[in-house]
Amino acid sequence: MISKIIIFGIVGLMGIGIYCLMITRNLPKVIVALQVLIKGAMIAIIYAGDISGNMDLAQSMALTIIVADTIVAVIGLALAIQAREKTGSSKIQSISNLKK
Amino acid sequence: MSLETLIPSLILFPWLGSILVWAMHDRNEKRIHMTASVVSIICALVSIQLTFQIGNQKIVYYTFGAALGELSFSADAMGVILVLIANVIGSLAVIFSMDYMQGERNLSRYYAMILLFIGAMSGLVLTANIFIMFFFWEVTALCSYQLISFYNDDPNAVRGGLKALLMTQFGGVGLLFAALMIFNQVHSFDLNVFAEAAVNVDIEQGVLALIGFSLIIAAAAKSSQFPFFTWLPDAMEAPTPVSALIHAATMVNAGIYLLSRFFPAFAAVPAWKETMIWVGLIGILLTSILAITTYDLKRVLAYSTVSQLGYMFVAIGSGSVLAGQFHLLSHAIFKALLFLAAGAVIHACGTRDMRSMGGFFKRTPFVSTSFLIGALALTGIPILNGFWSKELILESVHKESSTLVLILMLISVGLTAIYTLRCFKMVFMGKNDYAHLHPSPPAMKTVLGILSIGALTSWIAISWFSESLKQTLPYHAIESLNVTEMAHHIFSDPITCFALGITTIGFLIAWLLPKKEFPESLLKLSANSFGFDSITSGVVQSIIASAERIRCIQTGILNWNIFGLMVGLLGVLIILFMGR
Repeated sequence: MISKIIIFGIVGLMGIGIYCLMITRNLPKVIVALQVLIKGAMIAIIYAGDISGNMDLAQSMALTIIVADTIVAVIGLALAIQAREKTGSSKIQSISNLKK
Repeated sequence: MSLETLIPSLILFPWLGSILVWAMHDRNEKRIHMTASVVSIICALVSIQLTFQIGNQKIVYYTFGAALGELSFSADAMGVILVLIANVIGSLAVIFSMDYMQGERNLSRYYAMILLFIGAMSGLVLTANIFIMFFFWEVTALCSYQLISFYNDDPNAVRGGLKALLMTQFGGVGLLFAALMIFNQVHSFDLNVFAEAAVNVDIEQGVLALIGFSLIIAAAAKSSQFPFFTWLPDAMEAPTPVSALIHAATMVNAGIYLLSRFFPAFAAVPAWKETMIWVGLIGILLTSILAITTYDLKRVLAYSTVSQLGYMFVAIGSGSVLAGQFHLLSHAIFKALLFLAAGAVIHACGTRDMRSMGGFFKRTPFVSTSFLIGALALTGIPILNGFWSKELILESVHKESSTLVLILMLISVGLTAIYTLRCFKMVFMGKNDYAHLHPSPPAMKTVLGILSIGALTSWIAISWFSESLKQTLPYHAIESLNVTEMAHHIFSDPITCFALGITTIGFLIAWLLPKKEFPESLLKLSANSFGFDSITSGVVQSIIASAERIRCIQTGILNWNIFGLMVGLLGVLIILFMGR
């Protein structure tokens, strides 16, 4: 039963993350969607480590993901703030327009 | 020093030197020259020390945590000899550069790349793990690209560098494919595990053939063989010491090394050896003719490099790894000598066009004599090193291959004599009125002197050479030879007389060759490498055109990209599901 809940949790989080990434055009929301997606993936890795009996590897990978994920969030949010200051908008297209 | 210390120091020390030189940023030219020279000389000394360790302990393992697993390095004779060549000729090229590159800009980048290359080359031939070998393989390609494009304000240099990088990538892909196939079969990247499985026929013949032929593609691309031979002549835009080190003595030998290393695993694969012979032979004949019809001194030497590497392909294809490896050693020495002597000539007169050269023998006797020694070794004149190794190859062809192959090889011997004497005649003989020639400084002369002695005497090492190979390579069935036995082998074979006779005829033809220029149409065809350049450009153009066509799917909109990712992921999942 618990394993089913975990799988539903993983699929749910990843599904929400992917759906939001596909429909949203607002950079802070994109970062939130990415965070949700990554958390789903992280639970999947830990669960995979649990069922394959390779918890050490799963833990080290989860830690690596936390580091990478934080960097992505920090840089993404910094970009969002800069873009808002420069263009007055949080839309992704506004960042693309910066190069023009 | 123990083997465990020597191996990593041969890779890491030049790399640290490279970072150090890079960090100097052209601030003090003299200090950059000195640092690079000291680092390369120390590397050469360490590589000499490594030769004393051959046979002591074959494989060394290093563990770098669970993710990378065990990295294995093997100090057998085949690898150690190439390390010796890379480091000793590398240090000579660096010393030569002290004079040759004086006053040039971006020296720190130049030396950093050379030192990075030397370390990567040592890693490439010492590792016993094919995936790590792929890594070093790619690093050498990157250094080669950087150094060919060293004069990056010259469009030809940039074009030549890109061409070399793209064409050698075929080799990279071939090697990666072979590495992954090997892992798929034996669940390890370790060469020894694979060799054992292949020799014990644990791998299916079809799969083995696939791996074998992808390795031939890898070797042909890296060693500039048919049909990939057009990148090497264009790589001559690099500074001459780089041509001597990377494009004559070391990197281009990596392909030969790869095939020699894997020879026992694929020797029984049908048509594998024959393919190697014909790839080598077509390359030899095409490039020998191209060398006769070109007027660029460095291009002549580049074509002759392709043709000599072709000899090694034929030797391995005929089953004589010893002859191939011995020619590799001889060729590395005499071709480095030829390139560096040519470099001294170019340094003196400031042009590469042989039509505006001539009369150098009287003006620069030391450089001319060095070039002559290299040229005689290239044509296979007794008792220089090229003679012994070339005759060993011809002997193995005589014994193991068809008469047609032998006849074509003998024709190529004649062609070699023609282009070598033609080149020597145009550059060093006759008259020319140079008002001022740059003199050759002492560092250049020292390097040329050392290499000339090497070309005259390296063949004496055959006994040590063959014995070390025999001891450390149990699967290769290498015959042990000493100087007397080698002389007996060679002089008792009638092919030696034929070869020497044909060389003499070649010299006569070159001597009598009229001075007037070749017809314009022939020169155009030669500049286009007999149409092979057009094929290469055609492939590149068609890739660019198709890339232009499919760029419309790159919208740059994040939502579409995520959608594309999801479709790709679904595709992978479907493939995985179907494979179950």
